[in-house]
Amino acid sequence: MKVSRNWLQTFFEKSLPSSQTLADALTFHAFEIESVENDVLDVKVTPNRGHDCLSYRGIAKELSAILNLPLVPHPYGITDVSLEPKTNALKVTIENPQLCPRFSAAYINGVRVGPSPDWLRTALESIGQKSINNIVDATNYVMFNIGQPLHAFDAAKLVEKEGVRALHVRMAEKEEKMLGLDDKEYSLAPSMLVITDGNTLGHSPTGELGEAVSIAGIKGGKPTGIDENTTGIILEAANWDGVTIRKTSQALKLRTDASDRFQQVISPELTAYGLKAATDLIIKLAGGEVAGFVDEYPSPQERRQVTVSTQKVNKVLGTKFSDADIADVFTRLGLPFTKTSEMSSHWAVDIPFERLDLVIPEDLIEEVARIVGYDKIPTAELSPFEDKPMVNANFYTAEKTREELMHNGYSEVCTSVFVDKGERAVANKVGGERPYLRSKLVDGLKDALERNVRNKDLLGLKEVKLFEIGTVWKEGKEVTLVCTADESGVAEKALGEESSDAYEDLPVSTTERYQPFSKYPSIARDIALWVSAGTTPEDVLATIRKAAGELLVRSEKFDEFKKDEKLSLAFRLVFQSFDRTLTDEDANSRMSSVNTAVEKEGWKVR
Amino acid sequence: MSDARGHLHPISSLIREANAIFYRMGFSYAEGPLLEDEWHNFDALNVPKDHPARDMQDTFFIKDEPGFVLRTHTSNVQIRYMESQIKKGIKPPYRIIVPGKVFRNEATDMTHEAEFFQMEGLAVGEDVSLANLKGTLARFFQELFRGADVEIRFRPSFFPFTEPSVEVDMRITGANAPEKLRDRWIEMMGAGMVHPQVLKNAGVDPDTYQGFAFGIGLDRLAMLRWGIDDIRLMHSADLRFVNQF
Repeated sequence: MKVSRNWLQTFFEKSLPSSQTLADALTFHAFEIESVENDVLDVKVTPNRGHDCLSYRGIAKELSAILNLPLVPHPYGITDVSLEPKTNALKVTIENPQLCPRFSAAYINGVRVGPSPDWLRTALESIGQKSINNIVDATNYVMFNIGQPLHAFDAAKLVEKEGVRALHVRMAEKEEKMLGLDDKEYSLAPSMLVITDGNTLGHSPTGELGEAVSIAGIKGGKPTGIDENTTGIILEAANWDGVTIRKTSQALKLRTDASDRFQQVISPELTAYGLKAATDLIIKLAGGEVAGFVDEYPSPQERRQVTVSTQKVNKVLGTKFSDADIADVFTRLGLPFTKTSEMSSHWAVDIPFERLDLVIPEDLIEEVARIVGYDKIPTAELSPFEDKPMVNANFYTAEKTREELMHNGYSEVCTSVFVDKGERAVANKVGGERPYLRSKLVDGLKDALERNVRNKDLLGLKEVKLFEIGTVWKEGKEVTLVCTADESGVAEKALGEESSDAYEDLPVSTTERYQPFSKYPSIARDIALWVSAGTTPEDVLATIRKAAGELLVRSEKFDEFKKDEKLSLAFRLVFQSFDRTLTDEDANSRMSSVNTAVEKEGWKVR
Repeated sequence: MSDARGHLHPISSLIREANAIFYRMGFSYAEGPLLEDEWHNFDALNVPKDHPARDMQDTFFIKDEPGFVLRTHTSNVQIRYMESQIKKGIKPPYRIIVPGKVFRNEATDMTHEAEFFQMEGLAVGEDVSLANLKGTLARFFQELFRGADVEIRFRPSFFPFTEPSVEVDMRITGANAPEKLRDRWIEMMGAGMVHPQVLKNAGVDPDTYQGFAFGIGLDRLAMLRWGIDDIRLMHSADLRFVNQF
C-alpha cells in the first residue's frame, strides 16, 4: 500500500521524522518497504495484517507504537459511532447475512457535485489515485484513511416506491449482466454477491428479481453512479465475506482497492465509523444534509480476550523481558489489558475489534518481539542433543554413489523433472510446455551428453561422463534413480539403500568464485613442435599464450615424446569469444601469430 | 588431459556441507515426497483452503489427481516427520534438516526457476526458543563461510505456519568474507517459531513443546556464495558450469 508522509502526518500531533526513518521503523518492527519515493512509502502489508493495516489509520497506529509517538485524539471512538437518526426512506435487506454480516447506509440530500478541493486532490494523487469528483473522492479518501470501502449511489437513479428506496443483497443469477462504473459489462455467476435495486422486481435474468446495481464490495454500477447532476445520494458502507469477494474478483479478473480490502476480511464494526467519516466529509465538501441512516447488523462481532504470561513470552522468545517491558508494548499498541495475577504476571488483553489477527498467545508474543525489536532477541545455541542424530540411508547411499562416480570421472548434473511425455502431468503449468513429470532420467541425460560433447575441447575433456541422481515418477510411485551417461551409452538404475551409523567426511567444493562462460561456440586447433631437450612445455605455453591473444581460452599439452636429442610437444588450443561466434579466419590468424612466435624461438612446427 | 575426477554439482556440495554442520548440532537429515497431498503441503501447515496465504504460492496441481500438488516448500516434511515420530511413540526433542527440491509455477528468468532447492530446518523441544533460532543460524553461516564473521538479523514477517514469523538477514564481515558479500545485509530466508496449530496437526502437544523452523533457498545461497549470475544454470546440466565446482 502506498503511504504518503504528508497524509500520515494528519494522524500525529508532532512532526513526523523523515520518510527514510519511517521506512526503517516499519521495516524492523512491522512490514517490508518496497520503495520510498518523494515521501511516499510503498508498504508491503502482510496477509495477517490486511484486516487493519491497508489504511493510513492502521499504519499510523503501528508507527505510533514503534516510535512511541502520540496519535491525534479522534473526536469519536471507533465503536461508539451512532448512526442516528434512522430513516424509513431507505430499506436494506440481506438474503444471506453470513456473506454480508453488516450493511450500513446513509441517505444524504442536497449535495452539489463538483471538483474536490486541492488538499483532497493532492492527497489522492500522491498515492497514484485519480480525482473524480468531491463525492467519489470523499469515499476513496475515507477508504484509504481508515480502511472501510464505501460506494455512493445516485438516489434518484434507484426506483422509489411509496417514498422508499430499497437495496437488496443476494447472489447473482447465472449470466446476470451489469455495466460497471468502468464502462465494462460484467457477466456474473451464482457464486457472486450483488446489491440490487429492490424496487425493480422483474429485471433479473429469471425475470423475477431486482436489477443488479453493484458487484458487492468490488465495483459499482454505471446506471446508478454519481454524475454532475446528482443531488441525493445513498452512501453504502458494508462488510462482505472475504472468500466470496476474492473468488469473484479472480473470476471477473477485476481487482479494485475495495476488493483488495474485503478479501483480506475486515471487521464489520468498521462500517459505522467509515460511514460517519464519509458522511461528515461529504457534507463538508458538497453540502447537503443527512436524511438518516440504515444499519443492518444481525450478529455483531464478538469481543475477544487473549491471555499470555510474561513467563511464556520469555520462554518462546528466549528473552528476559520484565512485566514493565510487556505492559509498555501493549500500551504503545493501544491494546487494553489487565494483569490478572500480580504474582504470576498473566496478562488478559482485550483485542480491539479490527485486530482480527490476534487470536492465540503466540500472536501477542509476536507483538512484544517486534515492538521491542528483534535485535533484542539474544543469540543462543541449542543445548546439546541428547541422542546421536540419525544417518539417513538414502542420503548416505546417494553420497557414496556420488563419490564412486566422481572417482571414475563422472560429473554430476541436474536436469528438469518436466518433460514431453510421462505417466503423470501437472494441470496448470505457466506457458504449458513440458507438463509431464519424467518417468526416467535417461532422456534428459542423453540430451545433456550431446550438448556437453560439443564443448569437449573447451572443457579439456577426453570423454564427457555425466551422472544424475534424481526423482522420477513411474508405475504410480515416486522413486530415486541414478543415471550415468558416457560415450558408451546411457543407463539408469534404482538408487540402492545402504546404511551406516556415521557419514563419511567427503570433500566439498573449494571454488571461490564462479566465472561466467561464453555462450558462443569455441574452435580448437592443435600445434605440434620440435624443441630442444632443455625446453619445458611451460616455456612453450607461455610463448603460445602471449602470441594467441585473449581469444585463447584454453591451452594444454596433450602429447610429448622424445626422439634423439629432440623433444616433440603437442598442444591443443581453444579459441572463443564472449560476444560473437568465431570464424575459421579468426582462428587462422591467431594460429599464424602463434607459428611466427614459436619459430622465432627456434622451435620447429611439425 | 586435465582432472580425472568428476565434479560435484554446487547444490550437492552445499547440501553435503550443510548436513555436516547441522549433524554436529544434532540435526538428522529427513526427506519426504515431492508430489504431495494438499494436507501436508497446505492444510496441516495452517494454510486453509480459500485463505489468501495460499495465493502466496504459485502451485502446480497434478492433472486428474485432485488434492495433489508438487510441493511448494520442504515444510511438508515438518508434518510428515513429526507424524511418523509420534506414530513410533517417539516424543520431542526433534531436530531435522530437509534439503530437497521444491516447485513454483512461474515463468523462469535469471532469478526465477519453476524447480529449485530448499532446505528446511526444524527443532522442537520443551524450551527451543527464537533465541536458539538466531544461535543455530549464526553457527551455520559461521561454519559455512569459514573464517569470516557472520551476523544474523531478524525482521518481522508473516508465514501461516510460524508465529512469530521472521525474515532472516545475514551480514558477513572480515577479511575472509567473499568480496561481493562483504559488509552488506543480505536477505537469506523465512523462519519463525512453529505455529502451535502445526504442532497439533502433526500430533505434538503444543502446551508442552515448542520449536523453530526455517526454510532457506539453496539456489540463492549458492548464487550468493559463488557469484552465480543465473539460477537456470543449476538445471542446465552444462559442464561449463558444473566443472567449475
